[in-house]
Amino acid sequence: MSRFTVDIIVENRHGVLYRIAGLLTKRKINIERINAYAVKGDGISKIFFTADIEEKIVDTVVKQIDKIIEVIDIKYHKAKL
Amino acid sequence: MKYTGAEILMRSLLQEKVEVIFGYPGGANMPIYDALYFYGKKFRHILVRHEQGAAHAAEGYARVTGKPGVCLVTSGPGATNLVTGIADAMMDSVPMVCITGQVAAEFLGSDAFQEADVVGITTPITKWNCQLTHAEEIPEAIAKAFYIASHGRPGPVVIDITKNAQFEKAEFKYPKNFYVKKLKTVNKFNSGDIKKAAEIINKAKKPLMLVGHGVLISKAEKEVLQVIEKTGMVAASTLHGLSSIPFDHPLYVGMIGMHGNYSPNKLTNSADVILAVGMRFDDRVTGKLSEYVPKAKVIHIDIDESEHHKNVRAHFPLLGNVKDVLKSLMPYLKKNNHDEWLGDFKELDKKELEFEKIRQQKNKNKITMNVVLSLLSEKTKNEAVIVADVGQNQMFSARYYKYKNPDSYITSGGLGTMGFALPATMGAKVGAPKRLVFAVIGDGGFQMTIQELGTIMQEKMPIKILLLNNEYLGMVRQWQQLFFEKRYSFTHMQNPDFINIAKSYGIKGEQVMERKKLEIALDRFINFQGPYLLEVKVEKEDNIFPMVATGTSVDDVRLE
Repeated sequence: MSRFTVDIIVENRHGVLYRIAGLLTKRKINIERINAYAVKGDGISKIFFTADIEEKIVDTVVKQIDKIIEVIDIKYHKAKL
Repeated sequence: MKYTGAEILMRSLLQEKVEVIFGYPGGANMPIYDALYFYGKKFRHILVRHEQGAAHAAEGYARVTGKPGVCLVTSGPGATNLVTGIADAMMDSVPMVCITGQVAAEFLGSDAFQEADVVGITTPITKWNCQLTHAEEIPEAIAKAFYIASHGRPGPVVIDITKNAQFEKAEFKYPKNFYVKKLKTVNKFNSGDIKKAAEIINKAKKPLMLVGHGVLISKAEKEVLQVIEKTGMVAASTLHGLSSIPFDHPLYVGMIGMHGNYSPNKLTNSADVILAVGMRFDDRVTGKLSEYVPKAKVIHIDIDESEHHKNVRAHFPLLGNVKDVLKSLMPYLKKNNHDEWLGDFKELDKKELEFEKIRQQKNKNKITMNVVLSLLSEKTKNEAVIVADVGQNQMFSARYYKYKNPDSYITSGGLGTMGFALPATMGAKVGAPKRLVFAVIGDGGFQMTIQELGTIMQEKMPIKILLLNNEYLGMVRQWQQLFFEKRYSFTHMQNPDFINIAKSYGIKGEQVMERKKLEIALDRFINFQGPYLLEVKVEKEDNIFPMVATGTSVDDVRLE
């Protein structure tokens, strides 16, 4: 298990955060920290979260989040502890 | 000119060239049903007997036509009854658009009568969903829904429309351009990747192609044949890939997976190259994952990037539409043959056949499911559409019907939904009216959605129902026999008189109990014009083999 930070840019629509959280719930991944805000005037939001995820599945989980229709961009990296 | 939201919905569905809607009216979609009263001549609306039936019927329709199936249901229980079908469509990549009524916007969140958080409930089992509270939002949402359901990897979409939005008036303008990210660029492979993959295939000594549902979805049957014929590569199919390669093709060696054929399971782990085409290495296919394909370079073609490396690490992932990837691959492939490798399969096929013969000898005058399916295949010239339910009936249909034409085997593979077949057959028949469509169902699954006999009656659907009755939940019983020392815990079923049930729905029925009467009964069944239930009382404790037991490796496949 390693701690990862995931940075996501999404269309600002209701239910997007819920969809992301659902993909984590499915794998029993617990969010340790989360920050989300709407970017004024752009119709987009930025979401950052940190969670402990097994290294061998992190790539798949991120790609599954990337499949969400409203997700515009996603990046992840190992978090500094 | 302004229209009500309900009319706007009708007009939007017409723009999407919807032909048929499977639905059920209720309080929160009454304005839509009122509009249907006027637009009814432009669509065929089929009134199901339970919303789950609508969802599976939409799936059956989508599976034979490739177009999204459409469901229309009310709020609360109407929508929650769809849930199993939506989850099923999500697992099996079936395009579907579900329109659910919702309580008026002012009541949202107040626990109003027949209110359920449908967007919340369906989020994990949809490709996309949204709630509309204004009539003007409807056209774009419908346009996006159909686009999303059918582009990229297909899947289900839910549009939840509040009652006030159905009443409210707005201008109707159907959008030509709308923003949906990414799905536009499905092909992300480049010529470098293609060349590398081709080189691996050209150098292979024991290459094995595994075809999945993606081949049928992208209509790449021809390209698959071109690739195997040029390279001499041996090909096997997953459950959902069945019927993409004709059963009698010399390079086709049958089905892989838990109840697949002996040779492809036994030899998967000997392959030096696996070319996985539109399949997702489901656990029912791979058996023990840590021992799966240890010697092979894996080339994985899939349209869904998250499927690459999900279960099996691919050495060469190729992201894109199966048809496009195979087309690009073709020019770089060298003419080759692998007769010796193919011979290994043929040798093992003999072993499977031997067991088959012993089995047949043992059951000479009995009715076993394999006999029923083999006869059905023969008598329909291998050309029918088989919609199988879940369990032993599903596996016998997969293995003993000889599929000749594409889109001929439809079943609930991923979710494994008992009760799928009867309603899915209705949808398949509506989508492919010229083809002979058979539901193959066990006595357990039949009773899960048996109410749809009413729909078949009302719509006069000429559907053939082959009921394989062993008075058991057969697959669970088989496992109890093999892995739980024959403790048949709650798998025996006391059943009603199915023929009388059919009769009360005006559906002709016949029961066969003796082997010698089976063939003539099948003839009557196949040739009858109109719906027909043929109940075959099959051997009660018959098992489906070969079998890869859970937790074992595919090369541990057992013949008995």
